Amino acid sequence: MSQAPTPFSSAAVRNTSATGFASPRARPMLARDADSMYWMTRYIERAEHVARLLLVNSNLLIDVGDLAPAMQAMQWQSLLTVLRLPPLDAGNAPISTAVAQHLTLDAANPNSILRCLTSARENARGIRENISAEMWETLNTLHWSLRSDDLAARFEDSPDDLWRAVINGSMLFQGLTDQTLPHDQRWMFTQLAKYLERVDVTCRVLETKFAILQSAENLMMEGTIRNIHWMAVLRSCGSIEAYRRNHVGDMDPMRVALFLLLEKDFPRSVRFSISAARAAIAGIRGGIDPTGIDPAERILSRLDAQLEYAEMAEILSEGLANFLRRIQAGVYEATSAVQKVYFLH
Amino acid sequence: MFDKYEVNGVFDEMFEASGKARSHYAPLVQRLQAMGLSAFERRRRMSDVLFRNQGITFTVYNDASGVEKIFPFDLVPRILTAAEWSHIEKGLTQRIVALNMFCKDIYHEQRILREKIIPPDLIYGAKMFRREMFGVKVPRDIYIHICGSDLIRDKDGIYYVLEDNGRTPSGVSYVLENRTVMKRVFPALFSQYRVRAIEDYPHNLLQCLQYISPNQMDEPTVAILTPGVYNSAYFEHSFLARQMGVELVEGRDLMVDKGFLYMRTTAGLRRIDVLYRRVDDDYLDPLCFRPDSSLGVAGLMNAFRCGNLALANAVGTGVSDDKAVYPFVPDMIKFYLGQEPILPNVPTYICARKSDRKFVLEHLHELVVKSTNESGGYGMLMGHQASQEERAVFAEKIRNDPRNFIAQPVVQLSQHPSLVDDHFEGRRVDLRPYILYGQKAIVMPGGLTRVALRRGSLVVNSSQGGGSKDTWVLEEEAKP
Repeated sequence: MSQAPTPFSSAAVRNTSATGFASPRARPMLARDADSMYWMTRYIERAEHVARLLLVNSNLLIDVGDLAPAMQAMQWQSLLTVLRLPPLDAGNAPISTAVAQHLTLDAANPNSILRCLTSARENARGIRENISAEMWETLNTLHWSLRSDDLAARFEDSPDDLWRAVINGSMLFQGLTDQTLPHDQRWMFTQLAKYLERVDVTCRVLETKFAILQSAENLMMEGTIRNIHWMAVLRSCGSIEAYRRNHVGDMDPMRVALFLLLEKDFPRSVRFSISAARAAIAGIRGGIDPTGIDPAERILSRLDAQLEYAEMAEILSEGLANFLRRIQAGVYEATSAVQKVYFLH
Repeated sequence: MFDKYEVNGVFDEMFEASGKARSHYAPLVQRLQAMGLSAFERRRRMSDVLFRNQGITFTVYNDASGVEKIFPFDLVPRILTAAEWSHIEKGLTQRIVALNMFCKDIYHEQRILREKIIPPDLIYGAKMFRREMFGVKVPRDIYIHICGSDLIRDKDGIYYVLEDNGRTPSGVSYVLENRTVMKRVFPALFSQYRVRAIEDYPHNLLQCLQYISPNQMDEPTVAILTPGVYNSAYFEHSFLARQMGVELVEGRDLMVDKGFLYMRTTAGLRRIDVLYRRVDDDYLDPLCFRPDSSLGVAGLMNAFRCGNLALANAVGTGVSDDKAVYPFVPDMIKFYLGQEPILPNVPTYICARKSDRKFVLEHLHELVVKSTNESGGYGMLMGHQASQEERAVFAEKIRNDPRNFIAQPVVQLSQHPSLVDDHFEGRRVDLRPYILYGQKAIVMPGGLTRVALRRGSLVVNSSQGGGSKDTWVLEEEAKP
């Protein structure tokens, strides 16, 4: 039997930080470049989440068939809530089309896929000497595919294809980031950004969906429909298959929440993401100041410990919503601390 | 394909006046004819996609529709023989050596003025003359490390130097990218020629920059200073930083402390030894030059003058590529090197000279008038194409500020076939080779061939709708 490969995890990052500046080749990066590296990655990760949310939601509504118009509207508006956007007045258009359009192609919406990718590319354009040619070409090609003349027609024909292309593009970009960049400070800033964004969106999805589904559950949902909804939550976080393997045949809301929050080995869970973000910031700090502790690292390490030792009963007594908000506040503080320490020299 | 091709009475790079292909172009012509138009067209579209996806673009000011444009690429390569090139190479080397000696002289002893080779008022009246540089010792006494000289060919096929760009010449990234794309789109074409490689340019540039570092103790830190992503040549700045593996900095990344230049990094301040600056003199240091500039950094000139920082190119080199100083380059070559110029200048009238001015004003309809300090095809009058009114306006400008203008006879640039719709037509071209001057002068074998894409147009500048070609310099034929 061959030995299991060492899982790609924080260990790799810790090793890098241990050697840190001792290596003569290590050189610090421009504060502005670090800033762009960070935001480039966050915007791509965000575009991917938006695309997945849209994809899952439009498929969900096909599955559940005739849903009361009010419930349908609520489902679509909830996507805006997840992304911290104000509700949309669809006017005469069907709510589904209006929201899909607003979140995909609306240049006036800072969280639309179009805008996220434009921002990601603008950031990348300023740091092309810091990223690999492959990363740049992938991002640039994706960007131009959303600027082509036939875009509106393609989007009308099959919005699914467009969203899938965005998700695949983001995944390809992440793979290239891991495989074409040295895992040094530059790369660590991308990891920090990716995982912080992921924690933020995942917490928002859980918070929003729990509020909606729990209020609706008592009223009108029977078994099948209910399960489909919870499966959609998992899908929105790209986690359905992993969940099924862990909880065979069981679609319990609290289990879904705990899986997305606390699962140790799954790269889309909040705990994994916080842990990876913590490792990244520790690596960055270690390369600069091997003995110190940085404010963002402190915040993330505390969150990491809380998630590691969290208990279901505890979370229930605090209330899931409060627990989620506490994590989001921590992420926000950590982000501000990173900006202050590394980007604003 | 070339059935209806017209040589138009100018020098054609590919065909002799009789319509026969020149011998070094013959294999290319055969190949193109064998390929056919539709295959050629397909490859042209392929190259467009490559350029766009790789983001090889430049930025156009005063264009509302979009900032980034692809530099139009013309797939038919321009070919120079080894003999032609060796002549050009010698001429350009001679020129960069003389121009550097001139800069050093002007900012120190001024022998060339005292011996009345060049009238002093012409130098002191040059906008780009920098008093601040007087008596300043620059590393290794080199001022112009990177030069791009524009060459054109008249009807007779002789190469002339039209101007030297001794400040911050751009375009070299397109030369390198054109070659890369060409190899991807037309690999087969290369098999019939032995084309000299140009890919080591970034390496040579880095060596040149390291050579002038004031800090020779450990590996010097080199950085490129860019005005930012909205600059028209931003792609090139970023390209060169990538190719050399150095930081690309903006003014806001820099600070000067106690006579040293630093960049702000995630780990605090890091010292910079050599700055390849792609920002004009005027914007480098608000304490010394334009106080409203945020593109440079306060105190930079101080660090430079203290000898703690090397700048490429040095400040004040603009005095050597001033268009009114240009007519004296042949004299410089004789004065400093005791040699005859290898590459001739285009005859030039200096409007500051009374007799020249009179002639220019009387012959505006057959001259090209250029402002001495503008570049990129701005601020010029093509006398033979201009209207009566435009000429009158320019005449007035010349009378008011003669120092600011020179005039040259219209040079009929050579032409080269370009694909236009479904056939080939001649389009005017020039050639900008790039010269590096560090430990020794290195002329990159090739350069940027710029094409005036409009029929009959003589203006090749990219800012005025020009395109470019890959430029091949052939290896010397092996002697049997």
